[in-house]
Amino acid sequence: MNFSVERQVSAARWINVLALLALLGVLAGSLHLQFGVGEQPCPLCLVQRSGMIGLAVGPVLNLLWGIKARNYAISILAGCVGAAGSVRQVFLHIANPADPGYGPEVFGMHLYTWAFVTFAVGVVGCAVLLLWNTPITCGDQGICNEPGRFRALTYAVVTWIFLDVVLIAVSTIPECGLGMCPDDPANIAGLGDVGGWLLIAAMGVVSLVVGVLIDRRRTKK
Amino acid sequence: MFVLWIAVFYGIFKKWRWTPGLAILTLVVTVFLLKAHMTDPIPLNF
Repeated sequence: MNFSVERQVSAARWINVLALLALLGVLAGSLHLQFGVGEQPCPLCLVQRSGMIGLAVGPVLNLLWGIKARNYAISILAGCVGAAGSVRQVFLHIANPADPGYGPEVFGMHLYTWAFVTFAVGVVGCAVLLLWNTPITCGDQGICNEPGRFRALTYAVVTWIFLDVVLIAVSTIPECGLGMCPDDPANIAGLGDVGGWLLIAAMGVVSLVVGVLIDRRRTKK
Repeated sequence: MFVLWIAVFYGIFKKWRWTPGLAILTLVVTVFLLKAHMTDPIPLNF
């Protein structure tokens, strides 16, 4: 691996980490709505969350296993599934002109519309990264055997996403079991605006500590 | 659905070869749940 290829792989990894951080931001918004405001997610919201997690799987695989075209393909498929869910929800609410939409608006658009924008950006982003051949064909093996701050950061970000998935799963099972969720779920008593953000910040801090610990443990081996 | 995603992440951490396949399977399950929800007479019922 010559210097130029190393720099290209490093740049591609940074793009993957930044994509994961962006997805964490989107998931943080939805988790705040659920645990802070107390608004339980609707079935289509959960389909979109599943799409978001699928979108994250590609970059996680790229970072931990090495950059491969297959990983981007998984993210593109997940983006298409999630976009189908968000377009479905957009159609549900524009079919009736008197329908005010579901949930709060952010910068003039509902969250499901923003979700569609996220999926579209994700799909286009993966397609663009697939055009960049060098990181895919150079035989990258991922960051697991490359100690340093970047590896600790990657472990922290991946841990944070995993914690989000666990939190979503644990909070969904009482409402839906393993199958379909009720159409109009009853709201719960949330932690409040500040409490919701504190929960998300706490998850971030825990992830950072876990990321550093895993990095140190692997360095000692 | 999310339990399957946990399994996918566990597979990624363990470097199990079937993990990408399980991720695709989880997406298929997600599509089935989306389809099961399509009961309203509006566009995009597929």
